[in-house]
Amino acid sequence: MADARSLGIFERMILIRRFEEAVYDFHQQKLFSGHYHLYIGQEATGAAVMASLGTEDRIFSTHRNHGHLIARGADPKAALAEILSRADGTNGGRGGTFHLSAPDLGMPHTSALVGGAVPLAAGAGFAAKIAKSGGIGVSMFGDGCFEEGVVYETLNLSRLWKLPVIFVCENNTPGAVLKSAGGNNTSNLPEGRVIATPRALGIESHEVDGGDVEAVDALFTDCAERCRRTGEPIFIEALSERWPGNFYSYPDMVTGTTDMSMAWNDAGIGGEHEAWYREQDPVLRFARTLIAGGHATADDIAAIDAKATRVIAEARDFALKSPTPGTQTVQAHVLAGRV
Amino acid sequence: MRTISHAEALAEAVCECMAEDPKVTLVWGSLMGVGGGNEHVNRIKSEFADRIFHPPISEAAICAIATGAAMDGVRTVFPIGTASFMFRAWDQIVHEAGAAHYMSNGRVTAPVVFHVVHGLRGGGSVQHSQSPQSMLWNAPGIEIAIPSCPADAKGLMRTAIKSDNPTVFIDHQKLNRRTGEVPEGPYDIPFGVADIKREGRDVTIVAASLQVVQALEAAEALAADGIEAEIVDLRSLVPLDEEAILKSVEKTGRLVVADECPPRCSVASEVISVVAEKGMDLLKAPPKRVNRMPVHVPSNTDLEDFVGPGPARIEAAARAVCG
Repeated sequence: MADARSLGIFERMILIRRFEEAVYDFHQQKLFSGHYHLYIGQEATGAAVMASLGTEDRIFSTHRNHGHLIARGADPKAALAEILSRADGTNGGRGGTFHLSAPDLGMPHTSALVGGAVPLAAGAGFAAKIAKSGGIGVSMFGDGCFEEGVVYETLNLSRLWKLPVIFVCENNTPGAVLKSAGGNNTSNLPEGRVIATPRALGIESHEVDGGDVEAVDALFTDCAERCRRTGEPIFIEALSERWPGNFYSYPDMVTGTTDMSMAWNDAGIGGEHEAWYREQDPVLRFARTLIAGGHATADDIAAIDAKATRVIAEARDFALKSPTPGTQTVQAHVLAGRV
Repeated sequence: MRTISHAEALAEAVCECMAEDPKVTLVWGSLMGVGGGNEHVNRIKSEFADRIFHPPISEAAICAIATGAAMDGVRTVFPIGTASFMFRAWDQIVHEAGAAHYMSNGRVTAPVVFHVVHGLRGGGSVQHSQSPQSMLWNAPGIEIAIPSCPADAKGLMRTAIKSDNPTVFIDHQKLNRRTGEVPEGPYDIPFGVADIKREGRDVTIVAASLQVVQALEAAEALAADGIEAEIVDLRSLVPLDEEAILKSVEKTGRLVVADECPPRCSVASEVISVVAEKGMDLLKAPPKRVNRMPVHVPSNTDLEDFVGPGPARIEAAARAVCG
């Protein structure tokens, strides 16, 4: 990886991390209600995938969408405003945490229904095929989607109809405290794995360490090029170590606000989540890789983090100042072109 | 004017739109039941082969794929077949297609057409006789077209394909083979414009789909006794032409609504609610609903006929409100 590409991906990863920490803080302050989902622990996959996508490509995400939007380059201001369902949010305060979208960046609609994003992304591939746009559809989704029948239908259809779509299943069950052991439900799949299903349908399928930026980037770059060229679907199972805070019905910041200095100074590392800090946290992991490879110094990493922290602080202010959408707007846009 | 079948009129509309717009695609099961000898079906097959897709039995995924494509401006017509099958795709139609425009605050549209065939078909039994229009009417963001004759079917289908909204296009099992006069060449019939299929001074019968045909039959029997019924064919439920309904009730003062949905929260209920709220003082007598009975549809065709609205029940209701 060239330095600029690596550092660009890293910038997005740390921006996602600081964004999600702000979301957690907003929820702790009861600034928005309801359950929500954070992308902490999966930043490597989203940031690396988006690095190979262009303006003609379309991405459909899920209830765990914040990281995908930020990785794609969405404005954290509008995204945080949408978390609070404010007027300046990405969806004008109508979508909230479940439905952040960025139509101008090729993320037109985010489905929070399990499996919902998968056929929509195949639809983007369908449109690209009809319009010969050269674009591809990309679905970002979790392993739980394999409990829904529509995912099987979509895999079958994408091969039958030769749709240029890449299915990126972020399997975040590995490392989870399972329900049987007193933890939260993750997916209920007999093998805990999903790749056998697309393989059985004859779809080119790969597995990758979802916490390894360079591995995801190399694989996805190759797959995106081939998908564009052949028009055939490709499946990727990205295995992500589960963030310990992704537990019970609401996230819990059990690993604390990320201390980037852990990437070069392990003096404070220890305790219950030592393995997370040392090996699993993809942001710390990539920071260490960048330093070890001579792509960045500790000071460079600290500067990137400081910039991300500043951007998110500004976004927080923006979101908090954004007004609530007026009730006079609530009936607008039920149907296009009709009042 | 030439006479063609309802299904042929639909095939013609789809064919014309595919010729006019290279972004119109068709998921080809059996095109509304039109046979291979039809000139438009032949033309679609030969000229637009790269835009027709043969579907596996995967209603949910296809409805969502068509919706995802629609967000990029590719307009897909998906004849789902029997309306009961759309229940498999309810989530995708209601939550994805129907919500896209609203949830994006008006920035995204999902122009897609889901065509279904509803109703009592003669032996369809419990799972192949559904009339989903009233359930759909409770889902914001979806236009509902529901023709009663071949000429309307063609013009409404053209409008459905060109609309920037998702449209559920509802035909009746027993309308498909019926024939009627259909103008040559392209013409659009806007949604939200009801059509007076028969003028009359004594009683308004509001109906859609096959119930318009049944109401016209009832009207002949009523006319023999000097009762002149006015038949208001809604043609679309979303948007609803409230003005046409109220105007007719203003003229007749009496209202019957014929509908193949079961009565609670039905099309008939909604039409009567509109009149109650906006035209109560126009009514000279309490209005009446004529619905499918609130039971499942039995396979026995005598029982099926018994549970349906039908011309005799419509006629009886009209006599009752005129009594």
